[in-house]
Amino acid sequence: MAATLNGPLLVAEDVHRHFEGMHAVDGVSVEVSTGKITGLIGPNGAGKSTFLAVLAGTLPASEGTIVFDGQDVTRMPAYARARRGLVRTFQLPSEFARLTVLENLLVAAPHNRGDSLWGALRGKGYWMRDERRLVEQARGLLKRFGMSAKESDYAGTMSGGQKRLIEIMRALMLGPRLLLLDEPMSGVHPSIVLEIQYYLQDLRKEGLTILMVEHELHMVERLCDSVVVMAQGKVIGSGTMASLRKQREIVDAYLVG
Amino acid sequence: MNTYYAGTLLVYAAVDIIACLALNLQFGVSGIVNFSFIVFQSIGAYTAAVLSMPPDTANGHFQVYIGGFQLPFPIPWLGGALAGGLLAIPVGLVVLRKLRTDYQAISLLVLSVIANSVITNVRPFLNGAAGIAQVPGPFADQVDQYSESYQLLYVGLTVPCVLLVWLVASRIVNSPFGRSLRAMREHELAATAIGKNPVQLKMTIFIVGGVIGGLSGAILVGYIAVWAPSVWLYPETIILFAAVIVGGRGNNVGAILGALLVPVGFFEVTRQLPQKIGDWVPPPNLIPAMEWVAIGLLIIGFLWFKPEGVRPEPRRVFEGAPLREDLSSGGNP
Repeated sequence: MAATLNGPLLVAEDVHRHFEGMHAVDGVSVEVSTGKITGLIGPNGAGKSTFLAVLAGTLPASEGTIVFDGQDVTRMPAYARARRGLVRTFQLPSEFARLTVLENLLVAAPHNRGDSLWGALRGKGYWMRDERRLVEQARGLLKRFGMSAKESDYAGTMSGGQKRLIEIMRALMLGPRLLLLDEPMSGVHPSIVLEIQYYLQDLRKEGLTILMVEHELHMVERLCDSVVVMAQGKVIGSGTMASLRKQREIVDAYLVG
Repeated sequence: MNTYYAGTLLVYAAVDIIACLALNLQFGVSGIVNFSFIVFQSIGAYTAAVLSMPPDTANGHFQVYIGGFQLPFPIPWLGGALAGGLLAIPVGLVVLRKLRTDYQAISLLVLSVIANSVITNVRPFLNGAAGIAQVPGPFADQVDQYSESYQLLYVGLTVPCVLLVWLVASRIVNSPFGRSLRAMREHELAATAIGKNPVQLKMTIFIVGGVIGGLSGAILVGYIAVWAPSVWLYPETIILFAAVIVGGRGNNVGAILGALLVPVGFFEVTRQLPQKIGDWVPPPNLIPAMEWVAIGLLIIGFLWFKPEGVRPEPRRVFEGAPLREDLSSGGNP
């Protein structure tokens, strides 16, 4: 996790995403600073989630460029961006329901010799060492997130908040450099909201860069170093939460939107 | 039980087990609803047939087909497996890249119907609707194909194939690669977000399944010596699906159990039914028709009441895992 540079880790320039004439994202330019938590806020339908999906490659950009860590990734498929460390989570629970909690983490780990057809056919002896190392790493995460006791349960049987944690841990197994979180607190019990907040703060201290879509403004104020406000597919302001509160049109966008 | 009956039963069981293991990799583990599975078995059978048969000018030219290479065992079997794998490449590239799962299933079903009608109606290719006959089995030039010892020989050649396919299937299912396949089955978009390339995963397992399916056809055609469009109509795939669903999707033991319960057991049981009840002689197609009804009910019944099958996919507990607090909650979500 490169925290040394303070330049932008990701630069999106004039990004558009059209759906049959509807401009969900309409010329958005954003820079995400290395080692910071950047918030992305705005009313429903502002295009925040679509923009996040375009950054992650889940949806292709209609126009514009996305540069991640000095490389143009605009045309790169989503899985390749994830392997480079640009990892997203989803607004809706997206756990692998009939995999155990531990398996949900293990499956995300890169560099497992058994994770190819040939590796698998060579048998357990060929990949057991990788597997052991990754089990250890995954158990470390489970312990940190207080879910050790659940490792052998199917992820589909977990609560909404636990599924959020699984998704964050799963993303961390990839060793991400930029985490794109799509409303990580939605549908989560308040006690777990606080936990997630602490974890995210810890991760930032360790140098992880985060861009998160979030509706709860107090949370954004506590967590985010800077905030980008979107409305109707465009960026209408950016800065710290305190500076944004003074801007009339931004308050209006939220109140009216 | 005589040797011929036992031989037939064992070879059919082996072929069905091999086919079900392949379909389980595709459907049970990876979530690919391959409604054209029987086409892969069939291309294996046709390929093995034309590799082992003499040119069609032999025997008074009573049938026409391409090839006729008279190659010795094991080339026809290997060729059948290879053909299944090769067919999977273009089919997979068309069907598996862009389409959603349900459309994949429909496309594959349509492919199965089209392939069958083409082979039925283009006679010079593989003798059309009549199919090809007198396919020599392995070592048929050295051992009398109609002798009892040939039955034993055939079972002896088949069993190692079952073991090999079992080894391949269980190594895939129990590996990190199998875990990636299961993750893709559960949530393809999320799998993409953690760096899995779903097209590559699907293509890989589609080709593996094609190879194994082709092998199953090659084994079967060498034994029954004939192959015709009527034996690989699309409902044959449905029987294999019934087997995998009843046995337990995602579980190799379940796939074997399903193969023994549905295609083998089921048809063996109905064969034993009386031809006549009292003075009443049922119409001649009643029993086969009832078999299809029963297959349908079996699928619906299991999906409704026991969707995980007789042997559900095992929950993987890793060495050193803490004991679970509530064992009753973890069974099936």
